[in-house]
Amino acid sequence: MTKHAGWWFGGVLVLLVLTMGLALMVGTTWIGPQRLIAALGQSSSRDFVTVFNLRLPRIISSLVCGGSLAVAGALFQAVFRNPIADPSILGISSAADFFKLGGALLLPWLPGRNWLLSLVGGLVALWILTRGKALRDPYRLIIIGVALDATFVGLSRLVSSGQTTQVMASTFNAVTWSDTLGLLILGLCGLLTALLLAPWANYLKLADTALQTIGVPVSMIRWSLLLLGTYLAVSVTAIVGAIPFVGIVIPNLARRCVGHDYQALLPFSMLAGAWLMLAADTLGRTVIVPSEISAATMMAVIGGPFVIILLQRGRGFHGITTG
Amino acid sequence: MELQQVSYQYPGQAAGVTALSGKFPAGRVTTIIGPNGAGKSTVLNLLARQLVPQQGTVLLNQHPLDRYAPKQLAQRIAVVSQRHALYDDMTVAAVVKMGRLPYHGLLATVPDDEVATYLGQTQLTDLAAEHLQNLSGGQQQRVWLAMALAQEPQVLLLDEPTTYLDVHYQRALMTQLQQLAAAGLTVIQVLHDINQAFAVSDWLWLLQAGRLVTTGTPAQLRDADLLARTFQTPIEIVDVPRLGPYIVQVPEENDRG
Repeated sequence: MTKHAGWWFGGVLVLLVLTMGLALMVGTTWIGPQRLIAALGQSSSRDFVTVFNLRLPRIISSLVCGGSLAVAGALFQAVFRNPIADPSILGISSAADFFKLGGALLLPWLPGRNWLLSLVGGLVALWILTRGKALRDPYRLIIIGVALDATFVGLSRLVSSGQTTQVMASTFNAVTWSDTLGLLILGLCGLLTALLLAPWANYLKLADTALQTIGVPVSMIRWSLLLLGTYLAVSVTAIVGAIPFVGIVIPNLARRCVGHDYQALLPFSMLAGAWLMLAADTLGRTVIVPSEISAATMMAVIGGPFVIILLQRGRGFHGITTG
Repeated sequence: MELQQVSYQYPGQAAGVTALSGKFPAGRVTTIIGPNGAGKSTVLNLLARQLVPQQGTVLLNQHPLDRYAPKQLAQRIAVVSQRHALYDDMTVAAVVKMGRLPYHGLLATVPDDEVATYLGQTQLTDLAAEHLQNLSGGQQQRVWLAMALAQEPQVLLLDEPTTYLDVHYQRALMTQLQQLAAAGLTVIQVLHDINQAFAVSDWLWLLQAGRLVTTGTPAQLRDADLLARTFQTPIEIVDVPRLGPYIVQVPEENDRG
């Protein structure tokens, strides 16, 4: 890792700690540092309940979700060789959301229903996405992905009879300790696996024919990373719903900070994604107290313009062909 | 390497190769020449196992290629393509390290000193930390060659390696290939420039319409009638001072004014 990258890692870690501290204190009730410390010793106090039962699970959930979505986006970008590929823009998350919704209506008795059906939904979308020519054509891929996303969002609205849309519904507001522990286990398993497999994302920078000549099993690597990215994205959707753009914004900013090596890019994306989600959620629940703006809405507002700027400026690395 | 009655036809296309048999001498530079559509690149792809023969067998050390696991093959055969795609930014050292993957586990980190030799061989030591997108075409070609050499192959396959290089880099690359062959590497390449092929090769394969016309040393194949029949154009061989025999295409009879 370069010294420059080291500074960025240090910076994002400091930001994470500061934001976590702030997130514990702010909310409908301001709990300053002294009250916070005092509350930790009094488990029956109102402050303790607010911090430990309401804010802490929410903070941990948003950290895991942000890290998972950012890493999922980076993995999709490596596999599809496309800087704006991401499970949310390609319809994976909305398919997971739709299947989760369908499961709640049709299979309410099924244990682990939300996660299982979100996974099935994500895999169905991935199957549709990777059929035909989409893998070889970056523009076709994005258009098919956007169409898939719109289809599953529409289906979700149809099933829920036009009630709240998925973006509005995806919030950490109702997250419990049970949800948080589930997310933590699922998320950490996926994130640690992603860090371990980071070299594979680097391999996919070379063309398939070149990889075959050096004995790299391209299909195995591609599918492993795709399934891992899908797993991370649907694990978030299963608990809090679909949250857009984290997987596009963070990896693209991370490339500017720590470079294009996935062995630095993935851990940095994980930390930066965790921070962004926590910051978006904390801001969302404090700007219009006592009401709140969902993390998904916050990310839509931040991420949408970012993608537009990214594409219109045409900056970033889009591959080279050399003789 | 050896081809035994190898045939390959692309689906729905006439081009391909038919019943090719012949050997590629070890530790020599062999160049495959022939007109467009002769099947030169197809032969190279068959040797690299990027295409699988529909009939016949490709042998390496007297064993069919399909007997080798992908990693074993990668330790024996390396390929430098005509064009290389890189989908994201990488440093020179990172690309060359990829060439060491046949000797490591898929999750291994290749140490820097393991590629120092190959960077040195291709004059890239000072550019090791440079990003590939910042290099010239000639430098990039050297990176791909370094990656291929890092595989420590027995056979090096090159498809039109000089196409995007200027005269200076063309000569430097050809000299290097000759040195590698002298050190024991079997070099098999496809070239369009017929004079370059005759100048740098120890052995030539002459192809036409997917069939092998003949093989031989440059001296044996330096025959104007043979080349004219193969390339279907009038050819003469002239003596150029300080250069020696030079193959030139002359105008057709009815073109002469």
